[in-house]
Amino acid sequence: MECTLSGNAVKGLHRAVACLARVGPELLLEALPDKVTLRSLNSARSAFVAITFRRHFFDRLQLSSSSAQCGVLLKAVCTVLRTQPGSVERMAITLPDSNASKLKWTIDCLNGMLKTYWISCNNDIEMQHVAIERNIFPSNLVARPRDFSRLLANFQSSLQEITLIATEPFLAPTESEGKAVELRSYIDPVKENNDGALHTQLWIDPAEELRDYHHTGVAVDVTFSVKELKAFMNFCEGSEADMQLFFDKAGSPILLAPKFSVDDAANADFDATLVLATMLGSQLRSSDSASDRAPTDAQPAQGAPQAGYTTPKNAANKETAGTGSGPRSDHTVIWSELSVVNADERSAQQLFGKDLSNWIAADTDEESDGDGFCVQATPPHRRG
Amino acid sequence: MELRCVLDNVQGLVDSLSAVRWKKQQDAICEVSEHGLVIIVEEWGCLQARVYYRKELFVSYEYSAESRPRFGVSLGLLVDTLSTFSSTGTTGLELSYPGSDMQLLLKLTDADNTCIYAEIRTKVTDTVPKEYSVDGDGGRRAVFAVKSAALKEAIDDLEWPGSSISITISPDPAGVILRGEGHHGDLQIDFPYDAHNELFAAFQCQSEVSYSYKYKFLRATTANVPNSVTKDNRGSKLTIGAGGLLKVQHLISLRQAQQHNMDPNPTQQGRVSYVEFYLMPDEEA
Repeated sequence: MECTLSGNAVKGLHRAVACLARVGPELLLEALPDKVTLRSLNSARSAFVAITFRRHFFDRLQLSSSSAQCGVLLKAVCTVLRTQPGSVERMAITLPDSNASKLKWTIDCLNGMLKTYWISCNNDIEMQHVAIERNIFPSNLVARPRDFSRLLANFQSSLQEITLIATEPFLAPTESEGKAVELRSYIDPVKENNDGALHTQLWIDPAEELRDYHHTGVAVDVTFSVKELKAFMNFCEGSEADMQLFFDKAGSPILLAPKFSVDDAANADFDATLVLATMLGSQLRSSDSASDRAPTDAQPAQGAPQAGYTTPKNAANKETAGTGSGPRSDHTVIWSELSVVNADERSAQQLFGKDLSNWIAADTDEESDGDGFCVQATPPHRRG
Repeated sequence: MELRCVLDNVQGLVDSLSAVRWKKQQDAICEVSEHGLVIIVEEWGCLQARVYYRKELFVSYEYSAESRPRFGVSLGLLVDTLSTFSSTGTTGLELSYPGSDMQLLLKLTDADNTCIYAEIRTKVTDTVPKEYSVDGDGGRRAVFAVKSAALKEAIDDLEWPGSSISITISPDPAGVILRGEGHHGDLQIDFPYDAHNELFAAFQCQSEVSYSYKYKFLRATTANVPNSVTKDNRGSKLTIGAGGLLKVQHLISLRQAQQHNMDPNPTQQGRVSYVEFYLMPDEEA
């Protein structure tokens, strides 16, 4: 297999490798007569990324057999790509045959130097090809990467997982100014040092913040890793495309892909997919089992500032109402508790079935209740 | 005083001396003569670096010694002292030797006439630095000169493969090949000699020569050359002589303190200091 590329394609390849390097340790390269695909899987097997370059991305793509494949360390590929794209005239990638022990990269520099790298191949990489059709997802949103970055900037930079809560947008804005989408920091209660963790909730109006948004039916939430999301966002931004996020419900994987404008789509010479696993338990409903509750409808209240911050203390000590579920349910209950109308009636039994209603920013008034919650209660939001 | 000399801009001296700092702790040997100063740093048997500062580069150079003084001084200390106040780029230096206790005496004067006085203890040295030479072997040597930035880039890239780098200079096809092999993979960097490209400033080779050098020493020859120098794109000249002795030579332009005296061709005026490295080939390769 041999392919050569030059000009902007070199930048495109750099961007792709930079994204893959932030996901997994190894790159699986697969060449077919009409395209070349780069894949990577993270060590936890919870993130899978595939970037495909079509034939016309390359100056030349040539195979001696029907397909060619090899696996290499991404660190080695990043070393090859240390040469700045601006000083590269032409780049060629050669794989003599599928059993080759080395993958060859040649870089013709503008100043006359010729660099040839031979990277050792590891052909024992087992990588699952995760192929999911986009049209099986009931819901999706489209965001400009820069805008989404800005939203994420409200969260602690060390945040590892984030929850996206999607509700059906209100059609009549006058009725109430529903912000249909919520982003919420996810703090794993199993982890040790959560005391200083910053909890953040951000409600956004899809009409203002997103390019597109489709969700109908009950509220769903998906919790996934932020690191790979940011890597993919950077990739989309560099490629001058919007980012589309397809989702279903908690526990089902989400899929991200670049979304091109109508004009660009026809000329696009690459495509990309990031599949992220999501946490099994839902943040909205206090886990799975044992409950006769009706699923709560998340209709976040209004008039409130968009971002809420709080640091509930003693979080781990709060009782969960008969859920007997796994490690995370304490947390779900906490949020539900915060939305209880009367802050005194903190009995867990009362939570379920109530609307997740008003919740405003933490009040640091010291006269509030001594068990650590600094929240002011407001009258319940009544529908209708 | 055996030596009293004045430099209008100490930055050039700082740049040249920085280029030969490849370890934290290095002792330099300073040789003073009627021709100028030579500072020598050595890793015995492997790598030697010399910085030549001819007397023409000084505003004034008063030498009166019966025999050429030679003394040892800590290189790091000397560079740090000289660069303490030279960030403005217009610091002048008056250097005198010896002080009452054989010290090196420095007086740095800033543009606004702030003066710093420094004394650096010197050491008596018994070791006579080896005199290396790549010349005079009757033809069996190869020489080429490339842009310093390109050479530095190539040597930086060669960090990845391995500990030993081979340098091959051949007449046909004309060019230079640097190659390193390691367990992650191999890297080869070709500098093809082509009269049309601007990569080479000089190339001379009658028969192929090929030797290997330890990467860490090869790296020392370019890693610490200040960026201002590599950007300048003055050539670096490499010569492989008898037995594989490699000489790497950089030219470091000396900026003058007075801006109106812009000299487009410093070499002619002698406003260049030379930094030379001598590397022995890697026997184990």
